[in-house]
Amino acid sequence: MQMKPPKITPGEQVIADWMQALEWKSFEFQRDAWRNYLQGNSGLLNAPTGFGKTFALYLPVLMEWINQHPKDWQTKKQNGLQLLWITPLRALAKDLQRAMQEVCDAISLPWEIGMRSGDTSTSERAKQKKRLPEVLIITPESLHLLLAQKDYPKVFSTLQTIVADEWHELLGTKRGVQVELALSRLKGLRAAQPSGLRLWAISATIGNMKEAMEVMLGSDAPKGIIVKANLHKKIEIESILPDSIEKFPWAGHLGTRMVDKVIPIIEQSKTTLLFTNTRGQSELWFHTLLNAHPELAGIIALHHGSISGEVREWVENALHEGTLKVVVCTSSLDLGVDFRPVDTVIQVGSPKGVARFLQRAGRSGHSPDAVSKIYMLPTHSLELAEAAALKTAVRENIIEQRQPIVNAYDVLLQYLCTLAVGEGFRQKETLDEIRTTYAFKELTDDEWQWILNFITTGGSSLGSYDEYRKVEITDGLYQINNRKLAMRHRMSIGTIVGESMIRVKFMKGGYIGSMEESFISKLKPGDVFSLAGRNVEYVMIKDMDVLVRKSKNKKAIIASWNGGRMPLSSDLGEVLRRTYASANYVGKVKAIVESEIEELKPLFDLQAERSHVPDENETLVEYIETKDGHHLFIYPFEGRLVHEVMASLLAYRLSLIKPLTFSIAMNDYGFELLCDQPIPVDNKILQQLFSTNDLIADIQKSVNATEMARRKFRGIAVIAGLVFRGYPGAGVKSKHLQSSSSLLFTVFNEYDEKNLLLKQAYNEAFNDQIEEVRLRKAMTRIQQSDIILKYPKKLTPFSFPIKVDSMRENLSSEKLADRVLKMKAQLEKS
Amino acid sequence: MLLELRNNHFEILPERAIYWQEQRALILADLHIGKGMHFRKEGIAIPNKVFDEDLQTLAKIIEQTGTKMLIAVGDMFHSHHNVEITLFDLWRVQYPDMEIHLIKGNHDILSVNRFKELNIITHDILELDDFVFSHERCEPGDKFCFSGHLHPGIRINGIARQTIKLPCFHFTPQCCTLPAFSKFTGLYLVKPAVQDRVFALLEEKVFEVEAH
Repeated sequence: MQMKPPKITPGEQVIADWMQALEWKSFEFQRDAWRNYLQGNSGLLNAPTGFGKTFALYLPVLMEWINQHPKDWQTKKQNGLQLLWITPLRALAKDLQRAMQEVCDAISLPWEIGMRSGDTSTSERAKQKKRLPEVLIITPESLHLLLAQKDYPKVFSTLQTIVADEWHELLGTKRGVQVELALSRLKGLRAAQPSGLRLWAISATIGNMKEAMEVMLGSDAPKGIIVKANLHKKIEIESILPDSIEKFPWAGHLGTRMVDKVIPIIEQSKTTLLFTNTRGQSELWFHTLLNAHPELAGIIALHHGSISGEVREWVENALHEGTLKVVVCTSSLDLGVDFRPVDTVIQVGSPKGVARFLQRAGRSGHSPDAVSKIYMLPTHSLELAEAAALKTAVRENIIEQRQPIVNAYDVLLQYLCTLAVGEGFRQKETLDEIRTTYAFKELTDDEWQWILNFITTGGSSLGSYDEYRKVEITDGLYQINNRKLAMRHRMSIGTIVGESMIRVKFMKGGYIGSMEESFISKLKPGDVFSLAGRNVEYVMIKDMDVLVRKSKNKKAIIASWNGGRMPLSSDLGEVLRRTYASANYVGKVKAIVESEIEELKPLFDLQAERSHVPDENETLVEYIETKDGHHLFIYPFEGRLVHEVMASLLAYRLSLIKPLTFSIAMNDYGFELLCDQPIPVDNKILQQLFSTNDLIADIQKSVNATEMARRKFRGIAVIAGLVFRGYPGAGVKSKHLQSSSSLLFTVFNEYDEKNLLLKQAYNEAFNDQIEEVRLRKAMTRIQQSDIILKYPKKLTPFSFPIKVDSMRENLSSEKLADRVLKMKAQLEKS
Repeated sequence: MLLELRNNHFEILPERAIYWQEQRALILADLHIGKGMHFRKEGIAIPNKVFDEDLQTLAKIIEQTGTKMLIAVGDMFHSHHNVEITLFDLWRVQYPDMEIHLIKGNHDILSVNRFKELNIITHDILELDDFVFSHERCEPGDKFCFSGHLHPGIRINGIARQTIKLPCFHFTPQCCTLPAFSKFTGLYLVKPAVQDRVFALLEEKVFEVEAH
């Protein structure tokens, strides 16, 4: 084409020259992003990993700098912080830093790229304090720690741009709320200046992209722009089928009996990532693969979140270099930089969501025109149906939304204390800022007063007798003056609350990884367990570390790390419902049936023989009596989270008919209500149970009757600073300040009902992941469907996996005393 | 619930204490006075009503039983002095004739003088007739021992996978471990042996749980 090239700015020219020298070509979405950035816009960039999304937003910052300093950009040093790059994973920071620094070095721009995370050394921090790098890559937690410094406004006075990378990962978590709050403060700092900050989010494809952008920008920002990379990656999905479906287990298994089918796939590929859903499962698979195929020794590795950072780094480097044949991993390798040698991905068990599945599939086949190949290995029969549903969902472009969190009072309390530890805050100004965030746009004046009261007086009823101290008000400035309290607060900044972890070390020295305290507490000296792929023998606990020695014992306990279970997304649930229904059409004309369902025919035949296979407009209910009691199984296919709420709601409504106690279990397909007495149901009652009348009130009451809120309160209490988890390495000293969140929950419930943190716990118990609208829709759908009530004599293929599930919840309308007396009577009988 | 031990009579009260009829003595464990305020001083907002109610409950049973002597088997106070202890002092003067014997527990770190001011007699271990009082459970001997420290609780299981946890008194043939008196305490689940007796507490009731 002979067209006069459009006039480009000096900055664009410098970058273009640099790219040309490397023979790199820019993508259209990158040029789109550059143009929008240079025009001063904020927004969201939607691009998959592996296509230069970093450069799409990093390069225009350089271009603009060059444009603004055309004469001296190559000599001007110590320019102060220009770009803040927020990343959810500290592991990503290093690669980002390297890539960004390389550009500067190549074009002779004397910028420094810094990193700030929990791993940053004190000396590095001190250096940064003296001379701030122009670009700072930071985690949400470290950003809040910066806000807890006395002179933070100065640090940010030169800041131009904030980018939140992997925004889809942060959105829908309390870390996302943390980012929102920090942004509101940084924008507040710049309010006086005419040119505000530019904010950009980078996100993989999610169902609510526009909302994701609005959350990032806040309500006070001008309209943002969504830049989309229209790159369609080809994905090929293949299920690994068992030889005989009849012999395949009905319920949760580890899938390791399929190992013989996995070996040839690994052998055919250059490098394979084998994703498992839990850390325990990954340890098991590592051993299984090695036992089945000893030749893998030296070219197989294990990667999960509880393995020491050094080992993980080694694995990541080896992946880059292509020296590994297979890496068994968990979500720890979901995000981040690409490992080019990886050409095959195997997913063990259902990934439980379309977005996560696509992300994992995308870990293979990186060049834009390469095909991403993913194998799905089911761990039990019905997971094959999930594989079929995933295929359908991918074909139909169904992808989940990430629901942003609102009214997380715990995060707000923590944030206010963070500000109080730093420069202090003034209430009016801070309230205005907070209300610009999506998370707190509906914060009421009463709630705000309660929150201020809580941090200044501890909600006291004693007046002058009280010795509560935390935030003090001096001339309208809210501050934490006590140094000990300030230090304790800094140490507990963050919203990731897992069980406390203990480090595992060899007797002779050398750190292997970390384990949950509850797992360690069950071990006896001499027990052998597996960590980081090694069998080690437990010796003792010393100075808060677990000491172990190498063990030759082949039989090891596989650690169970908690919190590994992912609920099925409701979008996938809907597809799954259709997939199950399609079993009724195997072999019939005009029906679209995935091959997996044909494979599962014997299982569905058995289901049909013992009970029924529901069609799309039917809801199956099974009433089965066993020696455990009376079971009511209901299959709405709405995913675990919806089922949890629905099950307790139904249990509550049933217990209104007569006083009953239920034990509740659920999985992604359905749920079970188990009772020691006959459950009063028929078709008419069932239909009433799914009524949407008084839905919210009934849910409130049912949540109150279960332990769900108590469990949610655990995290809330930690984030809000009510449960102090101790100083690292000095656990014993802070013991007199430790109390369990469960005790606090009881105490608040009994003595401080109006506590907003309690309200939050109840909200989180049902409202968090499920919108009311969605629940209402599901209830209406079921009510209007044909409810098929069956009384099978034996457990069915559908009910079995739920029954063997161990995660249970109780709900009771019987008076506690009556219930205990009845349980006691049962005890005496046995 | 009335029990006979070594020819003496002990009434197990649902308010987490034992009344010894012959001595007109009230035995309790782990009152943890000052715990809530200790937390509050460190910026953790425990509602102050917990402490109020613990003291009200104590006053109620002292008056109902006509207690002449209070035997606290340890951890009566949680930590150093704070306002809650001053409030306890004000409460204490209502019962000038009631002796308070404290068998010191690991949390009772107030000074000797402070205990004197509070009109509390402290012991490392206390023996009375055929009975011995100790914070932690003592080695089996001739005398029957009352102790605290553990905050015992019991898990009761029913069919249909039902389960519940309640505070309890745990009796072995030689020893009784009392539940913590304060409501601001957690539970340590005990596993009773065959010959043990366990009394669980629920609302206004005490009932025996079959050890198995």
